[in-house]
Amino acid sequence: MARDDMKRPRQLGGELVIPVLAVAFTLYFFSTIWNSPWTAQVSAFLVGGILLAFCAIFAARCVIWMRAGGASLGFGNLVSRDDITTGRVGLLICTVGYTVLIDRLGFTLTTFLFLFLSMIILAKGRRPGFITAISAAMAFGGWAVFIWAFDTRFPRGWFETTMQAVLANG
Amino acid sequence: MGETAAILAEVFVDTIAYWWIIVPTIFLGLIVGGIPGFSAANTIIILMPLTLAMTLESGLIFMVTLYSSARMGAGIPAILVNIPGTAGAAATPLDGYPMAKAGKGQQALAISFVASSIGGLLTTIVALMTMPILARVGFYMHSVEMIVVMLFGISLIASIAAQDMLKGLIAGFLGLMIGSIGTDVVYATPRGTFGFLELYDGVPLIPALVGLFAVSEAFIIIEKKVIISEDAEPKNPNWHDTFEGVRMALARWWHIVWTSLIGLIIGVIPGAGASIASFVAYQQSRTLSKTPEKYGTGHAEGLIAPESANNGVTSGTLVPLLVLGIPGGATAAIMLVVMQFHGVSFGPSLFENQPKVGYGMFMAMAVAYLLMFLTILPLSRYMSHVTTIPTIYLAPMIISFTLVGGFVPREYMFDMYLALGFGVLGYIARRTGYHVAAILIGVILGPLLERYFLLALKKSDGDVMTLFSSNLGNALWVALALSLILPSVFDWRRKRKELLGR
Repeated sequence: MARDDMKRPRQLGGELVIPVLAVAFTLYFFSTIWNSPWTAQVSAFLVGGILLAFCAIFAARCVIWMRAGGASLGFGNLVSRDDITTGRVGLLICTVGYTVLIDRLGFTLTTFLFLFLSMIILAKGRRPGFITAISAAMAFGGWAVFIWAFDTRFPRGWFETTMQAVLANG
Repeated sequence: MGETAAILAEVFVDTIAYWWIIVPTIFLGLIVGGIPGFSAANTIIILMPLTLAMTLESGLIFMVTLYSSARMGAGIPAILVNIPGTAGAAATPLDGYPMAKAGKGQQALAISFVASSIGGLLTTIVALMTMPILARVGFYMHSVEMIVVMLFGISLIASIAAQDMLKGLIAGFLGLMIGSIGTDVVYATPRGTFGFLELYDGVPLIPALVGLFAVSEAFIIIEKKVIISEDAEPKNPNWHDTFEGVRMALARWWHIVWTSLIGLIIGVIPGAGASIASFVAYQQSRTLSKTPEKYGTGHAEGLIAPESANNGVTSGTLVPLLVLGIPGGATAAIMLVVMQFHGVSFGPSLFENQPKVGYGMFMAMAVAYLLMFLTILPLSRYMSHVTTIPTIYLAPMIISFTLVGGFVPREYMFDMYLALGFGVLGYIARRTGYHVAAILIGVILGPLLERYFLLALKKSDGDVMTLFSSNLGNALWVALALSLILPSVFDWRRKRKELLGR
């Protein structure tokens, strides 16, 4: 297995994502300060210039490796079939849903739904009863500590409003 | 002198009598320190009405204990699940997490608790004894000197990047660029904000921390059944491991002493903080080590340095607050408000007119660290169980509670989206061999470095030579150059010796 890994060419596509993002962001950053006073430019041009230089060197290094046959433009180290089988993609979808819905449904309900769905996905549907109980306990515990006890301004929805009314009216 | 000793003894006895406030507050501090977003400052603000209703002594003891225990608490998730509770603990997982993965979580926690307690206790005593001198440090540290201090911290990027220097530097400079987002400090010109008003103040640290460490880590750990490595020896937590951790920390007592003193000195400087102190201490610890190659692999000294330094900062922060009335950080600023509410006047006269308040703050911190050591150390045995919780349950919990933690400091939904964005960036970085700590160092220290750099240039009408215009600054430049060059020289000599030995 280790020998197979050694034979396999280095997957540079994934490694190039960060430098590509860095170059795109730096160029965008430069565009926002092009006509600004020097105080806004000096540090950014200095840091951004060095970053662009490092990215250029990295790109050149990649080209040399690929020409030597020791690397390819594959993305195997970043995305693979394992992302689906381990439930990572499902967890990502749940996470995006969590951040979008929490403002509408409130902390407690959204946290329960998120924990339940993501644990079910990761556990491949096993132990639904236990997962329901643990999700409910965590969500309710979070509400009790952060909203009821500490009065933190967590996003609130109908559950929090209802509980507030219930507690206020004894 | 005799009178001061009598006051200190009296204050010590008085403070011990408040154990019923200190002990529960220690546990509260551990919880709020361990969850990103729930800092001691936020908790004190939330509990401000309670603090104001207390007597001055009780209120101060509560705030000081919460402050120091939250600092210690931030290291617990950093060690066990690679998630620093605050930016001040960002250097802790570099060696703490590899220890936890290797099945030495309990030892790592014990090392962290001993280093934090002794570091905090020692610096409190040193601060008490040298207060008049320490109070002057802030006056000597101008923008030029601060630039060099920042560069000490930033030079850690190069150390982290040792495996692949180019990728480490790309990650670090990308962090510095991200840290430049927001308005410039002189004319408030918006830069790189993508049009979001929420970014005009710069990139908020907690969402960056949550995303880069917590969210990305949660997506990584699901590949394994539990955090603890499959190669690690399976064993039940036992007292032996706790004592072994204590022994390992005490055997390196000198390391705790000098790294906590770094924290104390940096803590005294208003505006500097635990994150700078822990990065600088880690970097210096590695530079002066005989085994720098062990850093980042689960080395005890790499864990001791940031933990004792960031707890050294807590006592340092009190010095400018009490002696000059200048709060060194957010928590100190809140303490200032509470003390002013109770009619406390700051400055040297505080120690003459209200000595029990002035000395009482330090004594409360010393007692808190003492009780923390006694109460928390036994818990390391149970806390280390976190590394054996199945990741299918742990990962979603980490994501939900830390993402909401990202929302708490500013209460913008935008910050949750930002944390998610940083999570994706952190995940890509981890999967492709870029160090997320290097990105975070840039995000934390970048804006501070820029601010001091611009101030220095502005004061000198744009003359770059101002960077070499002060004696203290020049001495620090030399120290920085030595700390960068010496490891290479030592490494070269070691390799030469090995070669000659063969």
